[in-house]
Amino acid sequence: MNSFWNGKRRFVALLMFLAGVFVALRVPPVIPFIQLPGENFPEGFDMPFVDIRWTNTMVGSVIVWIVLLLFVVYVSRRRPKDGNEVPPGGFYYLFEVLFEGLMGFVGGIAGGRHFRLIFNMFMTIFLVVLMANWMELVPGVDTIGFIHPHVKEKYDADKDEYKVVTTDGYEIYQGFLGISYVNGQCDWISPADEAAADAAALANAESAKLAVMDELAVKAAYARYKAEHNGHGDEVHEEDAGDDHGDDDHADIAVESDEASAAYDEVLAAREAEKQARRDRSCYTGVAPGPWQEGYEPYDKSKAKDISLHPDPSAEEAKRVPWVVLPFVRVPSTDLNMTLTLALIAFVMIQFIGFKALGIGYLTKFFNFSTLFKSPLGGIDVAVGLLELIGDFAKILSFSFRLLGNIFAGSILLFVMSFLVPILPWPFFILEFFVGVIQALVFALLTAIFMNLATISHHHDDDHDHAEAH
Amino acid sequence: MDPQSTIILGKAIGAGLAMIGAAGGGIGIGLSVGGAVQAMGRNPDHTATIQTNMILGVAFAEAVAIYALVVSLIILFVLN
Repeated sequence: MNSFWNGKRRFVALLMFLAGVFVALRVPPVIPFIQLPGENFPEGFDMPFVDIRWTNTMVGSVIVWIVLLLFVVYVSRRRPKDGNEVPPGGFYYLFEVLFEGLMGFVGGIAGGRHFRLIFNMFMTIFLVVLMANWMELVPGVDTIGFIHPHVKEKYDADKDEYKVVTTDGYEIYQGFLGISYVNGQCDWISPADEAAADAAALANAESAKLAVMDELAVKAAYARYKAEHNGHGDEVHEEDAGDDHGDDDHADIAVESDEASAAYDEVLAAREAEKQARRDRSCYTGVAPGPWQEGYEPYDKSKAKDISLHPDPSAEEAKRVPWVVLPFVRVPSTDLNMTLTLALIAFVMIQFIGFKALGIGYLTKFFNFSTLFKSPLGGIDVAVGLLELIGDFAKILSFSFRLLGNIFAGSILLFVMSFLVPILPWPFFILEFFVGVIQALVFALLTAIFMNLATISHHHDDDHDHAEAH
Repeated sequence: MDPQSTIILGKAIGAGLAMIGAAGGGIGIGLSVGGAVQAMGRNPDHTATIQTNMILGVAFAEAVAIYALVVSLIILFVLN
């Protein structure tokens, strides 16, 4: 099996490279649209029971939890109950290696009395953050999703309702009926081509109308000629026919308003139907060129205060709304909600373990008035305690923004590289693989270190505790 | 120049200037890792302790750069 794949693997790589070239040449690369907060799902995708809209980062974190729970079930099923069973092997050993290694690692840092609690916290945070970070390497995450107008919701305090506005803040008629799904079977509409086809249809309609008018005029002339010459027999005079045509304006107008305009309308209606069919098949509903396309016009606030996107997507105003992809799943660590939640959990655990280890005396770390009147430098201790307090709250900020900043920047790097070098972005995927591990390790390790620091008393028994810890 | 473009221009320049603060974090991380690697080379037995302290120091140095990132993200995405 191994030798079989050793020979073929490079051909697989070559095939994938060729497929990449083909796709890069066929599909126009799309400039990434970058949005910091997690995108709301459109209407109709609300959560059950609670009045909360799904965001795609929430979907990502649910997937992370499901995968982790599956791992937990797997590992606890495969674990040998006594030493004499057959070794479980395979994937199970990966977890054993991970746990053994990290247990030694954390044991070197915080191997004291509270090792179990600290290690549980460390491992949980490590696995969650690792899974969340590695999601950006999964194909389809961040790239497959709804195609929707470049809009968001905005609360209108005057009317007490939510409005749909463009992400630049301009109002749009509420309604998300313009949503279509990406299924790989859509047309890219070129505005120039559409305009040319429109002009051609107009010309066709005009000529059809003229043809009908000519036909009718000839018929009318012939009928009048017959009526005039009925009494005189069958002599035909060329001059007569010419004169008839000359003073015949009145009849022409009457004919035009009737059947000729019907022919005109018919041609235009056919064109309209064709346009609608194209629009239904298009990658975005409505002929709205994005910023990357020819014919795109930036939004002008003064011109479009109250555009109605939904009733008539072909309206001039609506055409200027850009359209973007709203991914089904986004990396959860690129959402501040997820990282902030983890940071708050870490913060609470740090304070919890401090109180658990030192009792109420833990507070003297922050409010240290014991030396205020005893020592000449007692005031400094008070200031240091207050600084510690501020520093502890700053941990929330630095924890959450470190993870967010690194992973958000990493995923933007992947977008931009996939746009610039559509064929060979994989070195950056390797980079992001390691960044994901390092950030997960840093988050978990700092939690462990701070938890360990919180268990160590600040005062005279400082040295004693240190000796115990190591 | 129309007001929309002016706003975008100002945002971009402001965010770029804010990220200059990341240079300090970079220098700090470089110094601390350099020192830690030297220490580990001279004293390989204490690698674990040195590594832990290094990561702690790197995290504190990085926090400053993260504040710069926060400011520039706020300028880019929150300011209207």
